[in-house]
Amino acid sequence: MTATLSEEVVLRCEDIAVAYGDVQALHPTSLSFHKARIHVLVGQNGAGKTSLARVLAGIIPPQSGRFWIRGRPVRAATVPLVRELGLDIVHQRFTLPPNFTVAEALELVSARKHAGAFYSGRQLAASWRRELELADLGVSSKARIRDLPIETIQSLEIVRALAGAAQFLILDEPTALLSPSGVDRLFARLKHLRETGVTLLLILHKLREVMEIADTISVLRAGRLVLPPTASAGVSEQALSDLIIGERATVDSETDAFASGASTVERAVNLSLGDVSTPHSETEPALAAVSLSVKAGEILGIAGVEGNGQRSLVDVLTGLMPAKSGALRLMGRDATKLKHHQRRSIGLRVVPFDRVAEGASLGLPLWENVTIWKAEKYRRSRFGPLRIGAMRIAARKALDQFDVQYDSLDQLAGSLSGGNMQRLILARELADEPRVIIAAQPTRGLDFRATHYVWRVLRRLKRAGASIILVSSDLDELFSLSDRISVIRGGRLVAEFAPPYEMQGIGDSMIGVTR
Amino acid sequence: MSRWVATGIRIASPIVIAFALGFLLFAATGYDIAEVIHGLWQGAIAAPGSLEQSVRWAIPLAIISFGIVITLRTGEFNIGAQGQILLGGLGAASVALLLPNWSPLLVIPLALLAGIIFGALWSAIAGVLKVWFNADEVINTLMLNFIAILLIQWVTTGPLKDDATRGETASTPRVDNMFRLSDGTGVSLELIAIVVVAAALAWIIIERSPFGLKSKLVGSSPRVAAWQGLQIKRIHITTYLLTGAFAGLAGALEVLGPSARLVTGATPTLGFTAIVVAIVGMLRVPGALAAALFFGGLQAAILFLPIVSRLPSSGLRIIEGLVALLITAQFIWLRRQHNRRRQS
Repeated sequence: MTATLSEEVVLRCEDIAVAYGDVQALHPTSLSFHKARIHVLVGQNGAGKTSLARVLAGIIPPQSGRFWIRGRPVRAATVPLVRELGLDIVHQRFTLPPNFTVAEALELVSARKHAGAFYSGRQLAASWRRELELADLGVSSKARIRDLPIETIQSLEIVRALAGAAQFLILDEPTALLSPSGVDRLFARLKHLRETGVTLLLILHKLREVMEIADTISVLRAGRLVLPPTASAGVSEQALSDLIIGERATVDSETDAFASGASTVERAVNLSLGDVSTPHSETEPALAAVSLSVKAGEILGIAGVEGNGQRSLVDVLTGLMPAKSGALRLMGRDATKLKHHQRRSIGLRVVPFDRVAEGASLGLPLWENVTIWKAEKYRRSRFGPLRIGAMRIAARKALDQFDVQYDSLDQLAGSLSGGNMQRLILARELADEPRVIIAAQPTRGLDFRATHYVWRVLRRLKRAGASIILVSSDLDELFSLSDRISVIRGGRLVAEFAPPYEMQGIGDSMIGVTR
Repeated sequence: MSRWVATGIRIASPIVIAFALGFLLFAATGYDIAEVIHGLWQGAIAAPGSLEQSVRWAIPLAIISFGIVITLRTGEFNIGAQGQILLGGLGAASVALLLPNWSPLLVIPLALLAGIIFGALWSAIAGVLKVWFNADEVINTLMLNFIAILLIQWVTTGPLKDDATRGETASTPRVDNMFRLSDGTGVSLELIAIVVVAAALAWIIIERSPFGLKSKLVGSSPRVAAWQGLQIKRIHITTYLLTGAFAGLAGALEVLGPSARLVTGATPTLGFTAIVVAIVGMLRVPGALAAALFFGGLQAAILFLPIVSRLPSSGLRIIEGLVALLITAQFIWLRRQHNRRRQS
């Protein structure tokens, strides 16, 4: 096979950069991909992989830089233009409308030339039958999308792209939702495509999969290309893991992490899980017999590649999702059956994963965002009217305590910057010195200053005796804050580490490498 | 441009455009615009008794719209006010007809309470279906309207049949005059006092109760609300109960007020016009009161117009519908602009 490898460059990028507001998602990056190979792009979350893919697919404009598809410069890329040039993308989330039949959905979203203004259902089904047969999917063109398994829908997305005569196909985390056997079938299909001359660019997370399928590997870390496309034969799994996470020696945890641990004799366990499992979830592995405990004045870090059960863990800890089995104890009592608001009333607070979708209501003013959840407190009697003045004073006090920069209490939360919005969420959740805190990705997308502010707050609360569970995909953050780190993989806590932390061991355990 | 002027323009523009479009349509189909405008003016304000008629219609519109303000703020689209009004009327009529010999001091509060409870429970059916079975509330409240109409038809031709009427629209017997809150004009101090109390109550619920603020958070970002431990199901059920309660009260007032009986097919559009009233009132109680007066005037004119001009009343219904359409379009447009501004 090596003899026939094409040297034609199908895609070349020069200095492509992407910024979202103040966040530089991708620094100027240049790279090129050869024809008829499976190129794999890896990196941590937020490394800039998806940003690059979106620029190439014409979905977002780059901040700067140019690219060429099959030698032709792409100016002012749009999705139709890029498709016209033979490049297409299969997203993490699928685009086929669930209520349509296979043929209808493909006709709707594919770039293939439409047969005419009008056609009958039978013509439509017939016109897609051949494509489906070629793909060897064993699915009827009359089946409804919603009735199909995820794997098949994904394959249909590929069929859709190829029908538009795509020569270069980008797949953004195509294995994320697939079962292991589904992954095998997908890879077989992709290899077959490669034989027909199609070039593929895969964004992958799991090292095992990368080593299995890649012809070339590129690595992005923190928006920079740290490994340009390199033949996979020359890259060891270990070297790759180091490249993804960043080569650093062991990182010292802050000294106070130990100091408090040694000084107190017996500290109460404020929060514990015993053999907790959760129901099956569509989006990530369910928890399987997870046990953990956090003492007063302790931060337990949860490390893991995203989508390995972190959401289920936080949902079950907060009471947003009931556990299927197992027990949860909170502040010395059985809280397994308690709802989220009941857990809050005995001292639990949570900093949600997603600031914008879960943390703050963008269309409501600042003071309402801070005070509404405990509005009952601002009344003189059981049925008395709310004292708005008291609510505003309380909101102002909390916002000032957490250094939120704002013009007016009546300004909408949506007008705050990311860092300020996170401070608002901290102000709401942490102003009354809670005993138990679940912090989920508390610094995601924040700049250096805002990140350190959040860290200081968490450390201060810990010293004040709070039990904190910190879920993060930022290892620096985990290393500098945690008294212990548990690694979550596939819905299980697979390993626990104590300081001084060793980057490589935790990294390997996250990805599942054994050396 | 000050904020108030901008808000004024924002509210007035869909109404002005709707009238302009309506007039264009009337002119194109050969009606005399001057005659129509004159008829509108006469029907809503100038003709003897017409101002009273405007207030008569503003009263139920205002009360119903308070409940709709609550439902829309919570993000639920309860369009079942029409059925809830009928059930409220049924509750009030039943009490008034079944207790003919009791003191009005007892019967009137009981009848109002029955109307409120009937309306609330009717609305809660859709609430329960939504909260526990995730059944679409738009369809359910709409269908409950039809069931309510048929229920009233059955009651007025069966258990509460008025034997005196014949061949006409079926209805219950008349409610004894001592139980009534107004004469046939539908305007009285008692009714206005009830509107004032209802408005005050609605304002306190919406602006000064934990439920009011929490339902606003649930309506604007349900996921954010869930992450703060708000009991979304309970808030939704309360919303349905309140919406139905206000509509039920309005239905009870119709029976104890102007119509004196429960009539099959009574007030067929009130519940829908009240949705427009709530939206034009910007989902606030004072706004809804003002909008109710405006649409009360329009309603009066709709009934009056065929008398003085050749324009059938459905002509004005077109304008009412256009207002609703344009406000919806404007709302979507504003939201899109807001999103775009946020992205950039």
